[in-house]
Amino acid sequence: MNRIWSILFFLVPILGVATFIMAASGIGPLKGAWLPENYAQSGETIDHLFNVIHLICAAIFISTGTAIGWFVWKFADRGDVNVDTNGKARKARYIHGNWKLELLWTVIPGFILLFIAFYQMNAWSETRLNRPAIEIDGQMVPKPPLVLVKAKQFGWEFHYAGADQKIHTQDDLYVENKLVIPDDETIVMQMESRDVIHSFFVPKLRLKQDIVPGMTQFAWFTPTGKAKMGIICAELCGWGHSQMKGTLEIVSRAEFNQYITELESENRPAELAENE
Amino acid sequence: MKTHQRKIPKQPASCLGALIVVLVMLLAGCERSPQPQFRLNNVELIKQERLNLDDGEHFPEHYPTELSNILTALFGTPNEPRFPFLLGEDDDAHEILSLENLELAAGPVSSGRKGEPSGLYREHCVQCHGITGDGAGPTAAFLTPYPRDFRMGKFKFKSTPLGKPPTDEDLSRIIRHGIPGTAMPSFQTLSPTEVAALIDYVKYLSIRGQYERRLMSELASMDGDPLLDLSLIEKEDDSEAEENHEIFEEQLYTVVGEYCSEEIVARWIDPDSKITEVPAAPQSYSIESADHKKLIETGQALFRGKANCVQCHGDTGLGDGATDNHDAWTKDWLNTTGVDVNLPESYQHFIDAGAMRPKKIRPRNLRMPVFRGGNRPEDTYRRIINGIEGTPMPSSPTLTPEEIWALVAYVRAMPYELSDEGIGQNESHAPVNEQAIR
Repeated sequence: MNRIWSILFFLVPILGVATFIMAASGIGPLKGAWLPENYAQSGETIDHLFNVIHLICAAIFISTGTAIGWFVWKFADRGDVNVDTNGKARKARYIHGNWKLELLWTVIPGFILLFIAFYQMNAWSETRLNRPAIEIDGQMVPKPPLVLVKAKQFGWEFHYAGADQKIHTQDDLYVENKLVIPDDETIVMQMESRDVIHSFFVPKLRLKQDIVPGMTQFAWFTPTGKAKMGIICAELCGWGHSQMKGTLEIVSRAEFNQYITELESENRPAELAENE
Repeated sequence: MKTHQRKIPKQPASCLGALIVVLVMLLAGCERSPQPQFRLNNVELIKQERLNLDDGEHFPEHYPTELSNILTALFGTPNEPRFPFLLGEDDDAHEILSLENLELAAGPVSSGRKGEPSGLYREHCVQCHGITGDGAGPTAAFLTPYPRDFRMGKFKFKSTPLGKPPTDEDLSRIIRHGIPGTAMPSFQTLSPTEVAALIDYVKYLSIRGQYERRLMSELASMDGDPLLDLSLIEKEDDSEAEENHEIFEEQLYTVVGEYCSEEIVARWIDPDSKITEVPAAPQSYSIESADHKKLIETGQALFRGKANCVQCHGDTGLGDGATDNHDAWTKDWLNTTGVDVNLPESYQHFIDAGAMRPKKIRPRNLRMPVFRGGNRPEDTYRRIINGIEGTPMPSSPTLTPEEIWALVAYVRAMPYELSDEGIGQNESHAPVNEQAIR
């Protein structure tokens, strides 16, 4: 009778795994619940890492889930089975510690973690440490940012570097909540906060960067196609956190130049803009 | 054999259970929340009492109810707004706003079958600007500057002169771009229809609020009589019925027609015709121009001299000149006799009535490249020539267009000016305010 409980218990990991399989293969109501499309070069690496870590977790989850399920099934209190020769219920044995087992379940996860640490190293250094460099006067220098992302409660300010390619100068071009970038170069963004901690999160670029007040951060990616996507804040930053949304558009170089020209013409008086 | 039987007091236990359920329901509140209502402008009411009545006297008790009734009859409720001036299809008031837009913006937050949103004002604006548009939403007290109170019909950042309402384009720019340096965010992701609906709703709240103020300003002269004496039309068979009807119609005309006329409603018709034209900028305005430096120097001289910007913005332009002032929305009640800004207890009754605690208005720190009223040079031009409504920033009718352009050039260069007064010569010099551009 009590084996019903063990079956019910076992249903939990089974349903959990089924949900993941449905989501990953896009079946039924979970269609579209898996990863969004990817528009960044580094996104493939990150998706690959995601899948690898997911598979490791799945293997561990399924094996432990099955083991627990089997134990619950085997040792279920069935009244008539677990009795000793005198007809009394058998007492459970109290086991204190098992050195070999503990060693095993410490060392194996340790190796798994080490494996993940080494396996992701290149991805980490590519997306977080080695900012793309360009050659200026024979020297390789970090690529200057195209745009300054200034996060604030509750929105995103974007300051394009403008003609002099320097941020924080008078020819900076300013726009709110709408970032337009060209599709033919690696985009470097400088990030600063006006107030509290924010996090610049673009799921379709697999890009998430915390923005900490007082710190200057950089983030970069290489777009792989034209698209329009959402920017959201991934760090609870106050009552308007959920409203902190922007759009990011990847357009062709020509469209980008036109957009910048439009912004520039806004930045100078109408008469002067016409004369040029 | 002696058996111990525990006595279980059954009834008290079940009573306790029921009591807990009731308590939880009481604490959580099992009623539906009441329909939102527009709040009466109690601050203005108290102000009018102070202005017109002897100390300690109050308006008759029936006035608040009567005011609410008149306002509801004319303007409806937050769920069902009305705009009584849309008479006939050709009426000019159609230029001000459309009922469809009001309905899209009003009401509770929801979305239609195809996901088209409604209740936009309550979705995006109400937490700061409040259901009545009084700039006293739940978060307002934590913000500096306070959110705009629409009810005075004053707007800061617009292309029209002082005293004139903003154009739709002005309001749209503020909604789409937000106001940098304040808590007003950008609603760039809203569709043009949604922005248009919100613009109309802001105008509606503003007109309603101004009309409410107008009604209150008339109370003192009413001598306790109702603004609209409904008893005049109650008795149909009276010998004076006809005469009474006429008196009532006269009252109605005064309350609806006269009070709502030119200064409150009609001013919103065709504000585009009142836009301050921005004359052509001189060629030297361009940063690449050889004369640009000279223009900036002219601007600097004006800043310190004729235009006297330093008086408020300070010698260094850090906004540390005259810092002991308040904006028009605060001064509106702060200047009432008996109120001393340094004595909080002298204005506690205003705070209790819903006024925001007075905060001093600071002149802009011009070393920060943050332009609240917009980033375009024409925005800066209009700020200087027209001033900023509701603030101590005055208009500058005596400056010529050339002088204003020189000031615009200087003001926009200020955040990047270097401390040795040279502009852009030697980048190793720190800017005047290192913090400003970092």
